[in-house]
Amino acid sequence: MSSVTLERLRKRYRDVDVVKDLDLDILEGELVVLLGPSGCGKTTTLRMIAGLVQPTSGHVRIGGERVDHLPARARNIGMVFQDYALFPNMPVRENIAFGLEERRAPRERVRSRVAEMLALTRLQEFADRYPAELSGGQQQRVALARALAYEPRVLLMDEPLGALDQRLREDMQREVARIQRSLGITTVFVTHDQQEAMALADRIVVMNAGRIEQVGRPEQLYADPQSLFIADFVGRTNRLPGQVRELANGVATVALRSGRSIRARAAGIVRVGDAVVCTIRPEKVRLAPNDNAGDNVMPVTMRRRSFMGSSVDLAVEDSTGAEMLVKVAEASAHVPAVGDAIAVTFRPEDCLCFPAPAA
Amino acid sequence: MMPSARRAYDAGLVAAFVASALLFLVPQFFFIRQSLLPNLSPGIVGDTISLDNYRAIVTDPFYWGVFGRTIALSAVSVAAGLALAFPTAYLLARIGSRVVRWLIVLLLISSFVSVVVKVLGLTLLLGTDGPVVRALRALSFGLWDVRLLHNDASVAIGLVQYTLPLLVMILFGVIQNVPPSLEEAAVVHGASDFRAFRRVLLPLLWPGTLAAALIAFNMNMGAFTSAVLLGGGKVLTVPIMIQRKIILETDYPNAAALALLLTLAVVVMNLAALKMRPAAVAATRAG
Repeated sequence: MSSVTLERLRKRYRDVDVVKDLDLDILEGELVVLLGPSGCGKTTTLRMIAGLVQPTSGHVRIGGERVDHLPARARNIGMVFQDYALFPNMPVRENIAFGLEERRAPRERVRSRVAEMLALTRLQEFADRYPAELSGGQQQRVALARALAYEPRVLLMDEPLGALDQRLREDMQREVARIQRSLGITTVFVTHDQQEAMALADRIVVMNAGRIEQVGRPEQLYADPQSLFIADFVGRTNRLPGQVRELANGVATVALRSGRSIRARAAGIVRVGDAVVCTIRPEKVRLAPNDNAGDNVMPVTMRRRSFMGSSVDLAVEDSTGAEMLVKVAEASAHVPAVGDAIAVTFRPEDCLCFPAPAA
Repeated sequence: MMPSARRAYDAGLVAAFVASALLFLVPQFFFIRQSLLPNLSPGIVGDTISLDNYRAIVTDPFYWGVFGRTIALSAVSVAAGLALAFPTAYLLARIGSRVVRWLIVLLLISSFVSVVVKVLGLTLLLGTDGPVVRALRALSFGLWDVRLLHNDASVAIGLVQYTLPLLVMILFGVIQNVPPSLEEAAVVHGASDFRAFRRVLLPLLWPGTLAAALIAFNMNMGAFTSAVLLGGGKVLTVPIMIQRKIILETDYPNAAALALLLTLAVVVMNLAALKMRPAAVAATRAG
């Protein structure tokens, strides 16, 4: 197991910097998720760690040692590919043995490691099948077993669960987490799915347009996003655009388009008169008794309701037609009917005020 | 469809099938029969059936030489063709650019150009006063009296040129079907480029490559135009011998027997080649 350090890592394709001077420390044994929309540079970053893409500048260190000049095969890295990339001409057993055989491991060691990996990934009964004869989830596990068999220093996973359906995906997330914890292997996991990132990560690195937007534990990113992008991308949130009227003690009074004023925590650098976007999580919005007085009370009309099992999602609309999502615990007694005029409210400290993105 | 319309439709299908079968089989029948008849004098064919024509060919060392030369030229040309086509097709398949599609289309269009025209271009290029010969002579300070026309080398070059577009097109398709991530996976998991090729790429490409090689080999075995034009009558291959029997000697039965033996040789060699499995591929199942 080793730490991974990226130092001012940059990749330029033609005239575009896909990855821009990335600095990142990944601790030994840590599971770090690179999260971001497609084209944000997360996969390119992973491929630079693997040695499949040559950085334009900057360094990659594994266990403190620079590996920039080592070819992929000499970096002792395990990798799970998006399309699994299992060798279709070899049965499961040979796929798993591949890395050990290429390292000229003694026959006895190959046999015992393959058996261990089959057990770890619960694939014993499929050892002699060919990849084409396996389900997506099983192929996924073979890819993981193949990547771990030779005890690599680092495990890289490139959107490995993207092709699986929701149920299997969640099962595999647990499986990946279990295996990663049991081996304590340093892991870099790439995904565009924020739920997956939250479920798996020790730390999430949110990337956007080739840069790191924020690094933090999942709870941190969710509760304390440092930019509108993060607030928007990590978890679901409502956006309320407006203009700052007053600013006192880090609390902004914001005039919304509907004409209402709300109070929100200034999360970015905002000044009086600035155009801003306030964000509020659906589960932080509550139904208010329908008096129009009070802080942060907004009159709205009920539009749709969707039963989500453990909660109910309500879509409500303000007088300007802007939609808001409200998540209420299913038990919370009375849910208004579609078309009802109601009011919603939230606490100022739950509502974050960010500078509006340049149009 | 109404039942009667349905029946007429089915009858149409069957009629077309029968016509195709007859067009294929009837000439073959007369052709095989011809090969069993004696040639009494030029153009005059007898009517006693025997294997005499075959016996005459099989017992004549001259014909063994012609067959041997044809097979050797075809095989060498396939090897050279693969050596050129494989890297080319690999590059085209892995560039992943829009331009590649157009290059392949151009290649396809160029393969519709008559062999005669293409060979003419080669003749000018390889001729005694052509640029290739002059360059080679200059490079060897005039010590090497290079000849690249009317010999085995020129025929082989012609055969390579004849089959190259097809080889590139087939191999391009075959290589494109192997995702690049397989090679990346091999390398990340510790294989050298050569090992990745041997353990992953080659086994997956083998069936397609073998098919491409056999098609090119069969084309070479039957190649007449390029062989006759570039060989200039000095390189005797089986197709050229057949043409001579027909045009110069008016010996149809002998020509037919030669053609049948050529076909037989090609079929036998194809069947043998299909059983070929290099060690690296032996443990492999077709994906």
